[in-house]
Amino acid sequence: MKENIIQAKNLCFSYKNEDGAPLPVIKNLTFDIERGSFVSILGHNGSGKSTLAKLLNLVLTPDSGELTVGGIDVMREDLSEEDIYNLRRRIGMVFQNPDNQLVATIVEEDIAFGPENLGIEPEEIRRRVDDALAAVNMSEFARHSPHQLSGGQKQRVAIAGIIAMLPDCIIFDESTAMLDPIGRAEVMDTIEGLNRERGITVLHITHYMDEAVRADRVMVVDHGEILLDGTPEAVFSHVEQLKAAGLDVPQVTALTHRLKTEAGFDLPETLLHSADAVEALKALYDQIGG
Amino acid sequence: MENTPKISLENVTYRYSIGTPFEKAALRDVTLGFEGGIITGLMGHTGSGKSTIAQLLNGLLKPTEGCVKIDGKDIWEDPKKIGAVRFRVGLVFQYPEYQLFEESVERDIAYGPRNMGLDEEEIRRRVIDAARFTGISPEIFAKSPFELSGGQKRRVAIAGVMAMDPEILVLDEPAAGLDPKGRAEILGGIRAYQREKKNTIIIISHSMEDMAMYADKLMVLDHGRVSRYGDAHEVFAHAEELKSVGLSRPQITKFIMELQKAGVPVEGGIYSVEDAYNEVLRVFAEKKKGGAVNAP
Repeated sequence: MKENIIQAKNLCFSYKNEDGAPLPVIKNLTFDIERGSFVSILGHNGSGKSTLAKLLNLVLTPDSGELTVGGIDVMREDLSEEDIYNLRRRIGMVFQNPDNQLVATIVEEDIAFGPENLGIEPEEIRRRVDDALAAVNMSEFARHSPHQLSGGQKQRVAIAGIIAMLPDCIIFDESTAMLDPIGRAEVMDTIEGLNRERGITVLHITHYMDEAVRADRVMVVDHGEILLDGTPEAVFSHVEQLKAAGLDVPQVTALTHRLKTEAGFDLPETLLHSADAVEALKALYDQIGG
Repeated sequence: MENTPKISLENVTYRYSIGTPFEKAALRDVTLGFEGGIITGLMGHTGSGKSTIAQLLNGLLKPTEGCVKIDGKDIWEDPKKIGAVRFRVGLVFQYPEYQLFEESVERDIAYGPRNMGLDEEEIRRRVIDAARFTGISPEIFAKSPFELSGGQKRRVAIAGVMAMDPEILVLDEPAAGLDPKGRAEILGGIRAYQREKKNTIIIISHSMEDMAMYADKLMVLDHGRVSRYGDAHEVFAHAEELKSVGLSRPQITKFIMELQKAGVPVEGGIYSVEDAYNEVLRVFAEKKKGGAVNAP
């Protein structure tokens, strides 16, 4: 049965500027996130997507609206500190810069930090740490010091630290931004695996269109509002609207869109993947003169 | 390279944590040079030594062995003068927005030039100049850097180094974490700045798409060694090698190769959507023309 892990209704949030005047960042957002889904969130810098992530993780409190996370109404007056900690454990968050996320001097101790604070049994911690290290392909670095690792390796350790807390949902706030292409691919495979194999709900905030394409659903946030929301095919068909919002579409999608709209090629509305575009263009090419 | 490079590493070895159990060579016997007056894109996988090289180039790190030369002269010849090298080689770190500290945008950009002992008029001129290239409106000069968005802070940080007018500017992932429009603006601004100043720029990047578009030459590092050097065309021709060093070609380059394999006779070596568009139109037009001639 379909169940929503996150339900937001008319969510509003403002920062205050120096004079105390409100700067609205999240404006009347209404959306649901289905448990077990893989959702990409796109938006230009300053669009409000990171603020949204912090609201969902209760780092920030909404000014108004309704927000239910994991069945708990977070706007409730009598929300206890324990409720908040419990929710934060269930909604893990991985940030952009891994240097701000590692706390221990040894990789495996860093990963154990979360479970230790939850009062988990030592054997279980050991099992979780090994499992988390394997999940991010960092087992051989278990005894290393984080400062000896490159940015990409540190990021994988940060992800492992969240995995070890066995969250229901992980929010990745541009967690791939600092990685090289192969590192990115590894982290994306990890994220996809966590979602498909462990059923962890994934919210993936990114600027990389090729990553967004891998999700079940893409939400585009612009000026604190939802601009587009749907399957990757549906969202990336709005090439001009995405460009106007400071975003882009995958290169193959851009090419086929241009061939269709400017050169009149008889192509499908949206082609996201190379293989599909090759097939479509090849078919058109073979028709010429035949 | 036939010409003397503007800045070079000669047989450089750099070890971290010397004398501890964690001693590790980040670079081993590396020799490479950067041509003057162009933008070089320095690419390599995470941990390939790119960031260590950046810090060696402006004298923040001292080679354990070997030397770093500018115009053929060892920068560590007189270690007491290494401070002067840092004015000649500007370095913009990854995520420089975390390094802003002044009370206003203008003062932050002016910090470097002021330390160089320039007069106020010259400082002012440089601040305006650097702001122009990085797309900072003078309207926000009086604002606190902490009121700005992440993307704007990044621009201020880059402007601060540009305002020192270094002969050589090294930028470590200047566009990391920015949205596509922000990337294009920052990298486009750096290119415009280089074209006007004719100085030497080294951009460290993972993005083959970006470097194909904004760099004049690409240098691919693998474990601290130069595995490829040339323009985008030459470098992207070596697909398998790039893959083995943790980089990948732009999606559009791969797509064109797949299209070619499927039997559509497009030429390889395409690395922008624009070029791909023109190439597809060309082969389709060719077949249409040929088809008409061959028709019975």
